[in-house]
Amino acid sequence: MRLTIEASLHRIGDLLREDVAPDLKTPFLGQSVRMASGLLTICANWVDDAAAIRVDENAAIRALLGEAGAELAGGLAGRLREAADSRDPGLRISQLDAENHRLRLLLIEAHAATEDAGLAALNAAIWRFLEHIELGRAQREQVNPFGK
Amino acid sequence: MSDFETRIAAYLAHRMPGASGIVVDELARIYGGSSQETYRLRACWSEQGKPAEKRLILRRDAPGGLVVAERDLEYNVYRALAGQRIPAPEAHFLELDPQWLDRPFFIMDLAPGRPGDPFTSPDPYDGHDETIARQFWSIMGRLAALDHRQLGLTALRNGEAAGGFWKIELDRWESIIDEGEAVAEPIVRAAIRWLRGNPPPEPAKPAIIHGDYRSGNFLFTPDGQISAILDWEMCHIGDPLEDAAWGIDPFWPITRHLPLEQGLAEWETASGMRADRKALDWWRLFSAVKACAIWTTAEAAVASGESHEMIVALSGIRAGHFHRKVILALMREFGVMA
Repeated sequence: MRLTIEASLHRIGDLLREDVAPDLKTPFLGQSVRMASGLLTICANWVDDAAAIRVDENAAIRALLGEAGAELAGGLAGRLREAADSRDPGLRISQLDAENHRLRLLLIEAHAATEDAGLAALNAAIWRFLEHIELGRAQREQVNPFGK
Repeated sequence: MSDFETRIAAYLAHRMPGASGIVVDELARIYGGSSQETYRLRACWSEQGKPAEKRLILRRDAPGGLVVAERDLEYNVYRALAGQRIPAPEAHFLELDPQWLDRPFFIMDLAPGRPGDPFTSPDPYDGHDETIARQFWSIMGRLAALDHRQLGLTALRNGEAAGGFWKIELDRWESIIDEGEAVAEPIVRAAIRWLRGNPPPEPAKPAIIHGDYRSGNFLFTPDGQISAILDWEMCHIGDPLEDAAWGIDPFWPITRHLPLEQGLAEWETASGMRADRKALDWWRLFSAVKACAIWTTAEAAVASGESHEMIVALSGIRAGHFHRKVILALMREFGVMA
């Protein structure tokens, strides 16, 4: 069995919370170490599918931008269609996050234009998507699959 | 005395020329102060041949944190509120010169009581939930009724403004998001657009807004009395419903201990104003946006190395999700997502 990055982070978090924190001489340090342990748990849960989540999300935003580009008019529509045809520049998390930020900024513009144009179906589709990605990302921080 | 205790003692000697033999001990940092470092300490000295002792709190600027606080703001508010039936510790000394403790700080009395923990405890107020919650609302109402001009608090943010507080505050928090946001959040931006398109009515009067009035930011005594409202670093002048909305935010809701309508009734009696329920909805959504801005600041402070506080890091990562989900729930409640 391979010791993965996430398992290692979970183990370090367990050590800090259960063995180190109780022995620290001030309550302030103890609380800080417990918090650090919680932070490690969140980081651990982000590791395995970090790239997959971003690749999927970027692809879904592009699809939505393409849909918006077909319904909206003017220069924005052109930029949306162009973004819909774009590709991720690489698979590093930093590259995927930068691309995610760029696409999200366009989605904000598209969403505002959709509201202004009164495109109810597209507006509802954007909200459904936003809810979907928020819940998808939020779930990752809660669970420690290696926890006791 | 430790080095830090010795430095505090030297400062107290500088500010208390009538005192001799000043000793500072029992210094301990208090966990949870995420925008300022908070220490408790004991100071002992002699004055005119008589021994004296005080338990004190020292609040020092943090290198980086959740909010950007003006350095003398909190001290000035504590001083102005003395004698105004708002429970708060007595503030003694403000020091802006970094020669004493490296960063600006102020010293005030250690108030009796302890804070309730709204995040982990099912019974944060030792069985005094309803009593505490009623005081929570009535103190908030009394604060809203005060005249900030008479108290000399016009230097607070918006202190000279007559209205338009919703826009000033929304502009402020949006600009903080603009500055700190690494990955754009369309949910937050949609909420801001809705807030701009559906402004609330003007308040009956400008009010002193605590800015972080919530469970966890006050002390209570074993007999169920709120003994001190703390953490005034985000205090400003604005619409009094801003504090009401912040206090019922689902992250730390006082409504867990008293139904909203009963709380608002306490507030209305104490403030002499009516709480416009529709306007309160606007401020509820505003609160979620403001929270997102604060978590964005926290995330940026840790990412840049400005803050090394674990609570700031955890807040930055975890709480943003929470408040974006709050925004989604409110947008659904308001019929925006349908």
